Amino acid sequence: MNRNPNMKLSLLLVGLLGTGVAFAGPPAPKAQGIESEGYTWNAQEGEKLEALGYTGDIVNGEEAYEICGACHLPSGAGRPDGTFPQLAGQHTTVLIKQMADIRAGLRDNPTMYPFAISLIDPQELADVATYIESLCIPVEHGKYEGADAALQINRGKQLYEKQCLECHGKNGEGNKEKFYPVIAGQHYKYLLRQMTEIRDGKRRNANPDMVKVIKPYTNEDLVAISAYQSSLTMPGSMCKPKAAKK
Amino acid sequence: MKYLTTAMLASLMCSAAVAVAAPDGAQLYTEKTCNACHGPKGDKPLLPNYPKIAGQSAAYTEQQMKDIKSGARSNGQTAAMKGVMHLVNDEEIKALSLYLEKLK
Repeated sequence: MNRNPNMKLSLLLVGLLGTGVAFAGPPAPKAQGIESEGYTWNAQEGEKLEALGYTGDIVNGEEAYEICGACHLPSGAGRPDGTFPQLAGQHTTVLIKQMADIRAGLRDNPTMYPFAISLIDPQELADVATYIESLCIPVEHGKYEGADAALQINRGKQLYEKQCLECHGKNGEGNKEKFYPVIAGQHYKYLLRQMTEIRDGKRRNANPDMVKVIKPYTNEDLVAISAYQSSLTMPGSMCKPKAAKK
Repeated sequence: MKYLTTAMLASLMCSAAVAVAAPDGAQLYTEKTCNACHGPKGDKPLLPNYPKIAGQSAAYTEQQMKDIKSGARSNGQTAAMKGVMHLVNDEEIKALSLYLEKLK
């Protein structure tokens, strides 16, 4: 007799939990990243490998990009405050890897995760990446705006040329084959945030080679490097912002 | 630099002035990317476990936004929203809440 209310409660709980599960979106998975032993950076497997093998359809890519544009803007420019990165002109390899990593739970981004998983399959990852890569890099973006900008940029240049240039290129063009991103045209605040997170082990899909290089840098060093990076221009790939299409 | 100085002056003047026009809720709604998750009119969320916010009481929405921003509320889907809450200040949160309340 005494057990009846408990049973009712349990049933009610089961019912509630069941409902919750039925309506909830899938939680972001958590894959083993740089924090775990045996982590291999950029392991060539899964949907990333599949997507990399497809030829992207730019028309479908533009359509699929619509959902991305609410935050990253139709131009791909993101926001100068660094909340959302500049994407236009980024290498397809980099875009595919980052989207696949977010989908797989290797790069944590609770805000973007549900958008990333709304892309239906590896082909669509390739499509969106191809569309984004085809957009020109806007000349205008978030830069270091302190009164000491010239000093910071100069100091950042020296640091950049010593250890960053080899992989990220003289003009910040990165390396498509090696999955190194274009950083020219990227927002200062986004660069600073990512470098800090990579140094501090928070960006779990980071390249251990880069972590090793960036580890000794102080916050001030990273400010200077970001200031310089956001001053870089890639000749021929950048454009003035134009009015949105249609 | 000139732009920055102007912006700083403008924000100083805003905080000093007593009667300043409230920010435009409709404009904030897209500018601050609320529409990306909650739908262009606040009634078609991206996921079924994101709330419909059109027509919600302003007092409720305002408090939830403040709590998610401060971290006082951290359950459910708030991790997704916390990432963008630094984009709005208290005044803008109020304007957004009032705008949403009026939506059907």
